Amino acid sequence: MTSSKSARTNAPAGDAPTLGDDLKRLEEIVRRLEDDTLELETALQLFEEGVGRLNAAQLRLADAETRVRQVLDDSAAPGGPLRFESLDG
Amino acid sequence: MTAFDEAWTVSRLARTLKRRVEDDSGPIWVRGELTGIKHYPSGHWYFCLRDDTAKVDCTLWRSAAGRLQSPLVEGSEVFAFGTAVVWEERTALRFNVMQVLPAAAIGAQAQSVERIKQALLADGLLDPGRKRPLPEFASRIAVITSIAGAAVHDIITVARRRWPAVELLVVNSAVQGEGASGELVRALAIVDRLRGIDCCIIGRGGGGKDDLAAFNDEALCRAIAACSVPVISAVGHEVDVTLADLVADVRAATPSQAAEFALPDRRDVAARIVTLGASLSRALQNLVSMRRARMDRTRDRMVGALIEQLRASERRLLTVKVRLGPAMSRAIDARRSRLSRLAAQLQALSPVAVLGRGYSLARAGDGRVLRRMVDLPGGTAFTLTVADGAVAARVEES
Repeated sequence: MTSSKSARTNAPAGDAPTLGDDLKRLEEIVRRLEDDTLELETALQLFEEGVGRLNAAQLRLADAETRVRQVLDDSAAPGGPLRFESLDG
Repeated sequence: MTAFDEAWTVSRLARTLKRRVEDDSGPIWVRGELTGIKHYPSGHWYFCLRDDTAKVDCTLWRSAAGRLQSPLVEGSEVFAFGTAVVWEERTALRFNVMQVLPAAAIGAQAQSVERIKQALLADGLLDPGRKRPLPEFASRIAVITSIAGAAVHDIITVARRRWPAVELLVVNSAVQGEGASGELVRALAIVDRLRGIDCCIIGRGGGGKDDLAAFNDEALCRAIAACSVPVISAVGHEVDVTLADLVADVRAATPSQAAEFALPDRRDVAARIVTLGASLSRALQNLVSMRRARMDRTRDRMVGALIEQLRASERRLLTVKVRLGPAMSRAIDARRSRLSRLAAQLQALSPVAVLGRGYSLARAGDGRVLRRMVDLPGGTAFTLTVADGAVAARVEES
């Protein structure tokens, strides 16, 4: 069904951290761990968070298939719904 | 065998020349003056192109003649696009022309591009400061190009190699010829209606290198500048820079390069993650060992302080001991002298001492001191004590 398909495609990215967020946070965690005034308790918490983000980042690199679709605008009215058709490159 | 045995045939010479010439030269633009124009009823054109020192025979076949925008004018300066070929029958070199553009028209086109450029410049659209950075990790990229062209294929190939997690949304558009710029503008409008797009690649791959007019269109340039996401231009032309290239946020020489700009290489990212992981554990290890070193230092300082305190107490005790001896002697001496004083006083009060001065003491047998006459009737026996002893005595007469 075209409408549900386009609705899914147009769904906003949401608030889940992106790979960029994960890498940036990891760099910040390493920087903070390098500060030796840090409380040991805080350091351990940061380390655990870092390990979690590291795993998440690695998962994101796992193989994925590039999806290629053609965008078609054959709606009668301007600004109507767009249609998506798989395009095998 | 003599050199004559190896002599070439004319045909071989002609064939060899033909191969040498035709294999090496793709289509090129040649600038020159038109002379000796002949237009045959068959529809073919024959003419020469020349400059001050050379000339070349040219053919414009009927099939290509239909694209002429204006009739050829003797003596005019033109740009001719074609390939050099060798006509074997005469071993003659000819330039097979596919397109002829009057130099004056090219000049006018260049002027028009310059005028648009000035307008874009005046509106600040060429300002380097308004160029937007590309996202670090694009997950959805819009691609505006002709789906019949090589660009889509090149971009997909690069995406699969570098960053397979990406989704490509292709918006088909003519990229050259009449109406191409209008289609490109409409395609940009469609991209603006898509959500979750990280950046847009607009361009073409391969194809004729001669028709870049669509990418010099003012409306297209303004649409690129107004696009809601960063735009990468990939017009596939290394030499000529189009106005679209100047307005785009990033200019790529080819569609493949555009995809490389738009997407990170996952091997680089993997390496970065590995490095970050190593840094993470190293940082924690450093932190812990620094803490341990600090604890060790603190413990050492504490033990040291304790030992120092014990030593101080010991020293104090020694001092007290040293001072205690004389103090005791002094106390004993004081007591001793007081005792002698008391003894002397006691001595002075002793009755024995009085006897020493000549007195004597009479006492009854029971020790009672006989002080008066009545105590001593005649015949009484008593003891008389003198300074150096006592004697028994008797009263003879009272």
